[in-house]
Amino acid sequence: MSTAAAPRAGVPVIEVRGLRKTYPGVLAVDDASFSVAPGEVLGLVGKNGAGKSTVIKMLAGLVTPDEGEILVDGEPTVLASSHAASVLGISVVHQELALVPRGSVAENVFLGLPYPRRAGLFVDWSALHRKAGAVLARLGLEVDPRASVDGLSVAQQRMVMIARCLAWDARVVVLDEPTASLTDDEISHLLEVLRQLADAGVAIVYVSHRLEEVLGATDRVVVMRDGSVVADLVTATLTKQTLVAGITGEAKADESQTVHVDRAGRPPGAELLRVTGLTRAPALHGVDLTLREGEVLGLAGLVGAGRTELARVLFGVDAPDSGTITVRGKDVVLRSPRAAMKERIALLPEDRRHQGNDTARSIRENTSLPTLRRHRGVSWLPRPSAARERAVSEEMVGRLGIKARDTEVAVGTLSGGNQQKVVLAKWLVHGADVFVFDEPTAGIDVEGKADVYGIVGELADQGKAVLFISSDLPELAAVSDRVVVLREGRVVAELTGSQVSESQILHHCYGGADAASA
Amino acid sequence: MATGQTDAPAGGDPGLVGAGTAARPATGPKGAGGGVRPPGRGRPGWVQVVARGGVLVALLLVIVAFGIARPDTFLTTNNLNAILQQAAAPAILAIGLTVPLALGEFDLSIGAMVGLGGASALALITLHGVAWPVAVLLALGIGLLVGLVNGVFIAYLGASSFVQTLAMGVILLGVEYLFTNQQTLFSGVPQGYKDLGQSDAILGVNIQIWLALLVAVLMYLFLEQTETGRRIYAVGGNPDAARFAGVSVKRLRVLGFVIVAVAAVITGILITAQGGSSQPNAGVPFLLPAYAAAFLGSATFRPGTFNVPGTVVAVLFLGVIQTGLQMLQIATAWINIIQGVVLIAAMLISRLERKHA
Repeated sequence: MSTAAAPRAGVPVIEVRGLRKTYPGVLAVDDASFSVAPGEVLGLVGKNGAGKSTVIKMLAGLVTPDEGEILVDGEPTVLASSHAASVLGISVVHQELALVPRGSVAENVFLGLPYPRRAGLFVDWSALHRKAGAVLARLGLEVDPRASVDGLSVAQQRMVMIARCLAWDARVVVLDEPTASLTDDEISHLLEVLRQLADAGVAIVYVSHRLEEVLGATDRVVVMRDGSVVADLVTATLTKQTLVAGITGEAKADESQTVHVDRAGRPPGAELLRVTGLTRAPALHGVDLTLREGEVLGLAGLVGAGRTELARVLFGVDAPDSGTITVRGKDVVLRSPRAAMKERIALLPEDRRHQGNDTARSIRENTSLPTLRRHRGVSWLPRPSAARERAVSEEMVGRLGIKARDTEVAVGTLSGGNQQKVVLAKWLVHGADVFVFDEPTAGIDVEGKADVYGIVGELADQGKAVLFISSDLPELAAVSDRVVVLREGRVVAELTGSQVSESQILHHCYGGADAASA
Repeated sequence: MATGQTDAPAGGDPGLVGAGTAARPATGPKGAGGGVRPPGRGRPGWVQVVARGGVLVALLLVIVAFGIARPDTFLTTNNLNAILQQAAAPAILAIGLTVPLALGEFDLSIGAMVGLGGASALALITLHGVAWPVAVLLALGIGLLVGLVNGVFIAYLGASSFVQTLAMGVILLGVEYLFTNQQTLFSGVPQGYKDLGQSDAILGVNIQIWLALLVAVLMYLFLEQTETGRRIYAVGGNPDAARFAGVSVKRLRVLGFVIVAVAAVITGILITAQGGSSQPNAGVPFLLPAYAAAFLGSATFRPGTFNVPGTVVAVLFLGVIQTGLQMLQIATAWINIIQGVVLIAAMLISRLERKHA
């Protein structure tokens, strides 16, 4: 990475000046100006709600700025649609995977572009596959262009989206949180690929909450706060502390990303949950673990190791093929999330967008959904009292620091971190003894993460058991009292006390001694 | 429409490649964006008012318009009574349909269910000598059964609602023919049964109107004011999130299909009671108007959400247009065309509000 070219002289491929965008009641972007040169990797950081996404959407041609201008190759340009942006060589890899699931890799790579034809009429599939193969080779992606994308891993799917940028001959590639749910290996491969693209003269805008990556992979960093660009600095001059300070706007950077969980530090209590020989093909092969009162058990593993699958079985979403789940000494069969809730097990699902909330409905309605019965105005009438629901959800908004005008706003208008807190609010209102958190901080800003850690600590202090799943290893090591490592559906290590460290976890994730020596 | 949030939405995509959730017809086919923006953001207030109250305003406008055009005949008690009576049975069907639609499901067998509901009751009475109250109960029982079968096959066995209910519609039509031998049944219909559609013993208002009113109020309370109703909307909004919040999604889906099937039987009974006869294949023409009313209703009061008051206003609106145009002696062909155009226009207006927010 150190071979990288410093920003080259000449005209920036994209420059934005004084961009501003308001929505009624919301100033999304106040004043954004920055530029990116060919061959440069520009980091764009800021909290959720800082305006990054709106800026990206303006570059993608999805949102028209109210004020300000976008210059492409020094020429003021109106990006009227995403197609217009693509044609000018600006490609955006959005956070959500925008792929046609049943389509082949080749079809997805060339989506929106004319396919090669035979006789000007019929698609020349072999030519398409050949061309796609060439693009994939540039990215070092070894997948069959004919394969269906829904069989690929998340990392491979993201690479397919980057391949699409190449197919469009993109001169600017904007990536929004490209490494969410990727493993460390996959991340380093992705960053290598980006560097190669930059060396080939492509300008890269890299948007991420993962500050280590930003510091390691970029040439320059633009920091946004409250809709404005507040800093534009050469990466080499930055440290994580200064970056965090810029993002939060606090003079003193209290190492926000260095995770602190203030805990009373009591020893764990009685056993709450025991899992024995839990098997569900093809993901889980005989998982054993126990969870005690007042304990945070970290669950580590690479993508595909079976972490989410285990969480789903524990919450009654999927049935195990064999094995037992014991709650408070009693064997239970969890046929549905309802059954799991009766055993006082709660899950914050990984896929917040699809499984977390009904985003069209209010904070109040989402928060009270699992507990409607408790909010009756009259005890014998199955009619929820909006006033009671509001009281409960307002309490949660205060306790969790959910940033919203009131509890009647649609959850879809909130930032990712606040949406996650609404999911959490449901379970705090409902109450549970075992909380399963599946990637609770993915895509959440620095402050939101700190809030989540605080809640995890609080729950443990109250004697609840927390099963904490995270791909963010520093976070996992800091939050957990004990860590269980899964690999290929089996528990391969249990780390306690001083063994709970990033390097130890990593060591076991990759297969212990074998991988370490390799 | 696809991306509607102020800032980065959730991260951590688990490898779902743009998962599609259940259909939400009124919000358009693209459910994939997930984030539905707050109502009316970025639009002037009057657009909101027109969009939300649009069908109600339009209803009042057409009443005034027809009243001016035909002052002697349109705004008479008799005529208004007739309009309401004509709208009553279709209204019950459309209100019933609102429930599966709110769940994100749809049912194409309801037209045939209307036909079988009325025909089976009449066949039991006229061909098999069953006492009419028993025949009515049996017909309602058939509706319950059909709804259960549809619901269980779709919710528990994973059938697609399109294929399942389309096929069920064909089956029901066949069953109707088995019951009636494809004949018009009219002789020996007791007055008690006819009174279900004809009586105006209560304040001189036709019983069908009272029934429709009762169904509307009950279903409004059910959907908007009860725990079950809230869960139904939660399933329609995001079935996975509802399930992860402990909602019995499958059971509610079955309930939705049962409710609409029973509503269809009631509609069928009212129609045959009013006419004192049962024609073969009389139910299928009720299918599309019910959908038209429910969708038009989903553009009203709570845009994007199927709701009972909206459905009721929409049924009345479509009924008034029909009667009014008939009074102006406009050819049936044009009445059809006008109704279709009005429907599309109403949908466009309601979309205005949510577009480009």
